[in-house]
Amino acid sequence: MNWVWFHRFGSPPYVYGFARRWAPWFGAVAGLLMVVALYGGLVLAPADYQQKDAFRMMYVHAPSATMSLMVYSTLAVASAVGLIWRMKVAHAAAAACAPIGAWFTVATLGTGMLWGKPMWGTYWEWDPRLTSELVLLFLYFGYMGLRAAIEDPQKADKASALLAIVGAVNIPIIHYSVVWWNGLHQENSTKLGSDADMAWSMVWPLLLMLLAFALYFGAVFLIRLRAELLRRERNASWIREVLS
Amino acid sequence: MSEFFEMGGYGKYLWPAFALGFGIVVLNLVLAWSSLRNAETQARRRMEMKP
Repeated sequence: MNWVWFHRFGSPPYVYGFARRWAPWFGAVAGLLMVVALYGGLVLAPADYQQKDAFRMMYVHAPSATMSLMVYSTLAVASAVGLIWRMKVAHAAAAACAPIGAWFTVATLGTGMLWGKPMWGTYWEWDPRLTSELVLLFLYFGYMGLRAAIEDPQKADKASALLAIVGAVNIPIIHYSVVWWNGLHQENSTKLGSDADMAWSMVWPLLLMLLAFALYFGAVFLIRLRAELLRRERNASWIREVLS
Repeated sequence: MSEFFEMGGYGKYLWPAFALGFGIVVLNLVLAWSSLRNAETQARRRMEMKP
C-alpha cells in the first residue's frame, strides 16, 4: 500500500496549504446543504403522529449530537496518532477539534433540553444519555484546560493526548446508553440498514443535515488547524512564505 | 404563515432550539476566523521583529 499521502499530512506547510484550499469549499457546500435540509425538515416533512411538530427539533439536535461524538472520536484518534508516530500535525489537529466539539456538545445539551420540556415535562433529568453527554462536555473542558495549563507545548501535547484517549471510553457509553439502561431518552431515530421507522420524507432532511454538519465541521476544523499551525510553527521559514 | 411559526403550539421550544443550534454554528465559524486572524497578526509581528 502506498503511504505517501499519509506522510504528506505530517508536513505542516502541506497541511496548511491543503486547509487553505479546501475550507471554503467545505463551508460553501455545507451552507447550501443546510438550507435545503432546513426547508425539507421544517416545510416538506409531515408532522409526527406522536410528537407532532416538536419532532422537527431532531433536525438540529441529532446532527449536533452526532458531531459532538464524531469530533471527540477525531480528537482521540488524532491524539493517538500524535503519541504513536510523534506527528506534530496530529497534535495540532486534536487541539483544533476541542473547541468545535465543545460547542457542538453545548448545542446538543441546549437543544435537547428544549426538546425535553414539551416531551418529558422537564428540561433536565439525570438520564444516562443526558448525563454521559454532560460528561463529554467536561472532557472537552478538561482537555482544553489541561492544554492551556502546561506551558511546554510538547508536554501539553502528551498530557492532553493521554486524557483524550482515556476519555474516549465515554463515546460508546453515550452511544449505547439508550440500549444499556432504561431512561427517558429515545433510541436512535434512524438505523441505517434496518427497517426505517420514519417516513423517507422525514429521513432525507436529517441525513442531509448530518452531511451538512460534517462538512461544516470540516470547514471550521481546517480554519482552526491553520491557526494552530501558525502558532506552533512560529519560527519556521515556511510561515514567511505563506503570509507574504 | 402564523400557523407555520406556531408549529402546533411547539414553536416556543422549537424556534429557540433552532436559534441556539444555528447560532452556535455561526459562532463556531466566527471564533475560528477570529482565531486565525489573531494567529496571522502575531506571526506577521514576529516577522517584522526578525527580518
